Amino acid sequence: MFGRIYKYSFLQCVRDRYVFFWCLLFPIILGTLFKVSFGDVNEKEMTFHQISVAYLEGEGARMEFKELLTQLEKEEKLVKIIEVKDEQEAKKLLKEEEITGIYKNDTEISLMVKEESIATSILKSIEDQYNQTMEAFQNIAMSHPDKIELASKVASGTRSFLKESNITEGKMDMYTNYFYALIAMNCLYGCFVGLTISKNFKANLSDIAARILAASTNRFVVLLADVAAKISAQTLCTIIGACYLKYVLKVDIGDKYIGMFVIILLGCSIGVMLGAFMGAIGKLDEGVRQGMAAGVSMFSCFLSGLMAGDMYQIIEQHAPIVNRINPASLVVNSFYSLNIYENNTKYFQSIGLLLGISVILFVSAFLMLRRERYASL
Amino acid sequence: MGEKVLEIENLVKRYQELVALDHLNLSIEKGEVFGLLGPNGCGKTTAISCILALLTFDKGSVKVFGKEIQPDSYDIKKQIGVVLQNVAVFDELTVQENIDYFCGLYIKDKATRKQYVEEAIEFSGLEQFRKFYPKKLSGGLLRRLNIACGIAHKPKLIILDEPTVAVDPQSRNKILEGIERLNREGATVIYTSHYMEEVEQICSRIAILDHGHCIASGTKEELKAMIKTGEKIHVEATGVTKEQLEQIKALSHVYQVEYQNDRLDIKCNGGKHNLVQVLDLLQKQEINFGRVYSELPTLNDVFLEITGTELRDSVEG
Repeated sequence: MFGRIYKYSFLQCVRDRYVFFWCLLFPIILGTLFKVSFGDVNEKEMTFHQISVAYLEGEGARMEFKELLTQLEKEEKLVKIIEVKDEQEAKKLLKEEEITGIYKNDTEISLMVKEESIATSILKSIEDQYNQTMEAFQNIAMSHPDKIELASKVASGTRSFLKESNITEGKMDMYTNYFYALIAMNCLYGCFVGLTISKNFKANLSDIAARILAASTNRFVVLLADVAAKISAQTLCTIIGACYLKYVLKVDIGDKYIGMFVIILLGCSIGVMLGAFMGAIGKLDEGVRQGMAAGVSMFSCFLSGLMAGDMYQIIEQHAPIVNRINPASLVVNSFYSLNIYENNTKYFQSIGLLLGISVILFVSAFLMLRRERYASL
Repeated sequence: MGEKVLEIENLVKRYQELVALDHLNLSIEKGEVFGLLGPNGCGKTTAISCILALLTFDKGSVKVFGKEIQPDSYDIKKQIGVVLQNVAVFDELTVQENIDYFCGLYIKDKATRKQYVEEAIEFSGLEQFRKFYPKKLSGGLLRRLNIACGIAHKPKLIILDEPTVAVDPQSRNKILEGIERLNREGATVIYTSHYMEEVEQICSRIAILDHGHCIASGTKEELKAMIKTGEKIHVEATGVTKEQLEQIKALSHVYQVEYQNDRLDIKCNGGKHNLVQVLDLLQKQEINFGRVYSELPTLNDVFLEITGTELRDSVEG
């Protein structure tokens, strides 16, 4: 019984032109447009350029720092030292953005930058690291002169921190987040599919529902089969969309397939159940329900960074709770955590939240659809 | 007395101030084709929704096969087939898949279901359209599919709510023949319509509903016997005088005579050979007359006489 209802519900979904467009074709078109827009930019961004920095020496200059910079230039290829005659020339180059910063090596090390960026952060971290190391050396030399050799070994290990102790094992690509948000949108478009669930179970909304409720099959068996079929169909659509991104558009969305499948499955469950929930509210016109579904899913995706890439970070700074309850943000964060962090803690946190929201929506929709008799049809 | 299939007692259903069903009483026996006749808004569909346990009601009881029906009365529901007023099928499933889907809500066994689906397709004459999607079907074929989905599981009680609305005459005849066939095969049928000709044609017993209550019920003969009008005779005649009209009115069983625009309308209350005696009189009086026709009372006459309004008028209104 369950299997047959599941089969026919699944067939209804995959044959529905409306579903086909919004849940499969539209995300693919949008993905293609994203790729066209970001493609070149992305490749340029991915090529790392050495950070140009001017170097000025004073009378009390520390030679260790100059050696460090030379090493970072020749071996690590991290910085590029630009020769300048004086501070005035350096400032001129900085103003014209020919260089990212100016190191001044005198009695103390100082850094001058024009504006904050990733490159200036790296320059600042070099300066900080040097200062901390030197301070530590001085302390050890004063208190434990015998341990100075050991400290030297530790310091050489610390210096390689910039290169080796990266917190990520994946590629840092700011545009991938747009594609994660696109997958989140694809999941949440399951709400269009979910709207039909209530139409099949509320006798005051459709004659089909009246016919199903008048039948001798337990309504909840039919409901569960229908929900399962619709989640499956939406998951299939989203997987096809994700495969298109990965294999046709060559977007690196990751390769941890099981983890990605779990995210998509839960995202689609939320989308479908959200639609079922909205469909079960009162006696609204179908067009109004579809408008609600489109509005809620797009707003959720907007907050996750679909239209503005840094939206997630802005919300994280000002209202982090929104990112914890917004399904699209959770999908994006799950993908990011799975593919960027070595540690899966953040991934499982997001998955847990997705599962929780999914269960809440299912129970809510179930409660709203459980009515057996109606006061009016 | 036959086995009771449906018993409705004092059923009251209110929509705020509007009383949709007003102490409705109905009793339907096994093997009947029971017609629920009445204008739109008289409570037919509301009554059916109560029978199917889809609608709450304020008072009364509904027993199907001797048991009070509840939303979870699956053993009772298994024996009921329903064909609703509006076509209720899935646009994304083919004819065969739709019938299989709805039949499968009642029949678990795959082989039995397959056989029943084939029989329903044959019954509704949809053999050539089994792979068609509903949107590709004409209005008549769509109605037939709607019926096939409702009766495929071979129910003992079939409820058809205005199944011929907006259907061409050919499909209508096919549907009516099908209903008679289902009845011959043992199903009890409840048939609602505001088309009195259909009800007269197929129903063995009829209840006339108006404003939520049953104003008359019985066989069509019993219903017609309830009213004064027995036979109506219309004669195209010229130069009929007042004296001659009085003589016609004096004939036995004639209770009303009207003469307007060279047309005589004579109403008789029962009796036989009324037409013969009217024609005899016209010849004796040497009245020139042309076309003559007589008609027996219809259910519309019954409705008209009981409610004071035409059934058709009520429908339009």
